[in-house]
Amino acid sequence: MLSEAFLQSLRTLRLNAPRRRVGSLTGERRSVKRGRSVEFADYRNYTPGDDPRRVDWNVYARLERPYIKLFEDEEDLTTHILLDDSPSMFWQPDEEADGQHLAQKWLCAAQLAVVLGYVALASGDKVVLETSSFQRFGPKRGVASAAALIAFVERVSATDKRDLRAAPTGRRQPLNAWLKRYALDARPGLCILISDMLDEGGYTEGFNALGNSRLDVNLLHTLSADELDPQFTGDLRLKDVETANHQDMSLDDAVLSQYRQRLTAWSEAIAAQVRRRGGRYHLTDTSLPIEQIVLKDLRRAEWLV
Amino acid sequence: MDLLNPSAFLFALLAVPIILLYLLRLQRREQTVSSTLLWRQATMDREANTLWQRLRRSLLLILQLITLAFLVFALVRPYVNVPGAVSGRSIVLLDASASMQATDVAPSRFEAARARVRDLINGLGVNDQMTLILVDGAPRALSALTSDKSQLLDALDSARPSLDAANWSAAIALAVATGAGDEDTTTLVLSDGAHADDLGLLPGKARFIPIGNSGDNVAISALTLRRTLRGLSAFVRVTNSGSQDERVLVSLRADGALVDARVLNVPAGAFAEWTIGNINPNAVAVDARIDEAQRNFLAVDDAAYAVNTANTTRHALLLTRGNRFLEQALASLPGLRVTRAATMPPDAQTYDLYVLDNMTVTLPARANALLIGAQSVFTTSGVFSNTDYVRTEAHPIARNVDWRGVNVLDAQRVNAPGWLRPVIESQGGPLVLAGESAKDDLQRAVLITFDLRRSDLPLQIAFPILIANSVEWLAPAQGLNVPLNVKPGEVVPIPENTRVTLPSGEEVVAGRRGFAQTDRPGIYTFDAGQAQGAFAVNFSNVSESRIAPNPNLQVGSTNANAEQVESRATSQREFWHWLAGIALVLLLAEWWVYQRGLPAWLRTTPRPQMPSR
Repeated sequence: MLSEAFLQSLRTLRLNAPRRRVGSLTGERRSVKRGRSVEFADYRNYTPGDDPRRVDWNVYARLERPYIKLFEDEEDLTTHILLDDSPSMFWQPDEEADGQHLAQKWLCAAQLAVVLGYVALASGDKVVLETSSFQRFGPKRGVASAAALIAFVERVSATDKRDLRAAPTGRRQPLNAWLKRYALDARPGLCILISDMLDEGGYTEGFNALGNSRLDVNLLHTLSADELDPQFTGDLRLKDVETANHQDMSLDDAVLSQYRQRLTAWSEAIAAQVRRRGGRYHLTDTSLPIEQIVLKDLRRAEWLV
Repeated sequence: MDLLNPSAFLFALLAVPIILLYLLRLQRREQTVSSTLLWRQATMDREANTLWQRLRRSLLLILQLITLAFLVFALVRPYVNVPGAVSGRSIVLLDASASMQATDVAPSRFEAARARVRDLINGLGVNDQMTLILVDGAPRALSALTSDKSQLLDALDSARPSLDAANWSAAIALAVATGAGDEDTTTLVLSDGAHADDLGLLPGKARFIPIGNSGDNVAISALTLRRTLRGLSAFVRVTNSGSQDERVLVSLRADGALVDARVLNVPAGAFAEWTIGNINPNAVAVDARIDEAQRNFLAVDDAAYAVNTANTTRHALLLTRGNRFLEQALASLPGLRVTRAATMPPDAQTYDLYVLDNMTVTLPARANALLIGAQSVFTTSGVFSNTDYVRTEAHPIARNVDWRGVNVLDAQRVNAPGWLRPVIESQGGPLVLAGESAKDDLQRAVLITFDLRRSDLPLQIAFPILIANSVEWLAPAQGLNVPLNVKPGEVVPIPENTRVTLPSGEEVVAGRRGFAQTDRPGIYTFDAGQAQGAFAVNFSNVSESRIAPNPNLQVGSTNANAEQVESRATSQREFWHWLAGIALVLLLAEWWVYQRGLPAWLRTTPRPQMPSR
């Protein structure tokens, strides 16, 4: 799914948590609350700004290098990655290619989920990944779990594709219901939602539920090039892949222009919702190479530091 | 505007299937999208749009219907009447006779006709063809039948008026060869209509475009010189072919110096004469000019020229036993001094001409001789009496000689050498022969093979003319046998390499076939070494001087007068090809709209910027 070299380049990156929450601090970050360490988990290098009281002085005495002791329990940050795998995420405009390989849109979203999960694991965070079809990975921590994460996402891709072919519209899960259900038993932490947000029922209730569970909602809005700038023309019957609704349209430049206006207004409304809750919003064109999205766009947007 | 094919409006019914197809066309293609959410919203925005946008949706249908409308409109073949234009194939006969140089229409009749033809050419339709025939003395096609306007205009610009009369029968033959008389061919005649009676023979559709509006013209119709007791005198005749009496100032010049000038009153349709004496008898040439006239629209006939030969004398020796007719005929010839003898005189004087009337004498070498009856120069082989007239060859000595009434009892059969050609032939053999030898004893000879007393020739008008022609040819006044008076364009028989001075003063060397640059009236002088002289080129064409236009000329089988002609000189100009062209452009636009949608400048809303990523 991702090349070894690319994964290696990710090891120097970290997720940038925009604000700190009491009780949800990882060992990576300076604590405002005294750590009640109960179970040793790991060592890691001291970085400037760490609390000097947490330096393991015995190790320092032996090796003359400062190490920070890491402990399990609520001191770490849990990174929640919510990956939308609704049928719209598997959509591609030319249906002929559908059976051959995965849609570009889904592939990009899955890769982004793996990248963000890998970065979180590598920086010692606890990672939970759940899809909208309720398949869950984690919580796991430590870079050793990265292989399991990749295997999980690949498995989800395969099963979803099989399920979609069997019943193209049968596996729809409303976005709100999924987010509300997830918020019920989620620990506070960083929440990254990877979705196209194309849901008839909207998203506000789900965002509210996540917020109430003290999850910072960061939205990685994945839309394919054919959704951002459709090239259809003529008299068409547009079929919704999720609902089987259809819409008769005579597409000309005027309609396409209207569509792009609506798309802009809609994505800006979502971005405003996310930002009002203190989260971050990033719109991703899934036709771009994953390396560019991760190493350039997300770093520029300061999702990764 | 009118329609040639109104029934083609039925094609407009094709609009019905087009509209039906448009309605049926709304079979929609299926296209899956990730969600119809945004599309629905885009449609909702559109529902509120104006009628114009709904119309724009049908732009393709509208374009198709307009295209159909233009095609149907092209099929009904509308036309407009264009004045003066022609359609189909047309043959233009452009009169280039001398009377077309008249200036009663500015700048001249010929230029006015040229302008009319230019209009006709510019008015030609895409499929129209035209050919130009210039009608002068020798009509010729200036261009082939073509629709190439630039070629026709070039040919038209090359046309020049001549000083000839128009040869309409030859022009009609040329037009028929080009296609006049065919179903779709129209022959247009641009002429003043003067002396064009032959045009009634023009077959097929013909149209006459009259040029010219006045026939007022005075001309110098005659200028002759004669030696009198008081010296040289000139005779001038001025003819008024117009419809009003005219006062004309005429001047006479000898070698360019004014001799006399006089105002003559010339009545309409008549002439006035003037005799001027006391002209320097040594003048080479004399010219008369009309210097002033009230209404005189043709300039080319306002001058006449004459060469003075009165001061040259030729000597002839007449050897006869007595022939009153012959003596009289020779004695009446000007400038000829005749010595009569019964035998060859012993003196060594050479004569310009020897006339032998039934005498057998030995002539000096290189003599010019008129041999009549029995002679000793050529052998004979008997006598023939079958002397009925057959034909006359074209020869200077036979000019104006009418042999039809001449009876000859019998004539000698002469074994003539090759250079002696028969001029007048009878059934039994030649009666008159003439020729010029390069190396024989004789230089020039005219041979009459019968005895004048055994015919009634001396009693006929032909006799003095034949004798005068023969003397003129055998012993020309200027040493060379050059005519004194030629028409413009005529070839003057002058030996090769003779230097000829044109009226303009330019010097030209004559070619092998004589001198042909006689296109300008005036006095031409020549110098052939042993002989100098001059000849006059005179327009003096009485019929072309009568320039009265004839607008009621009958052209072809229809008798069209000027009014009818003018009203009929319109053509139906179709413009269906423009309509078809517009339809093609519309079809391309329709295709473009179908492929690309509306062009940017027709879109009302600008393309929005993408959201920031």
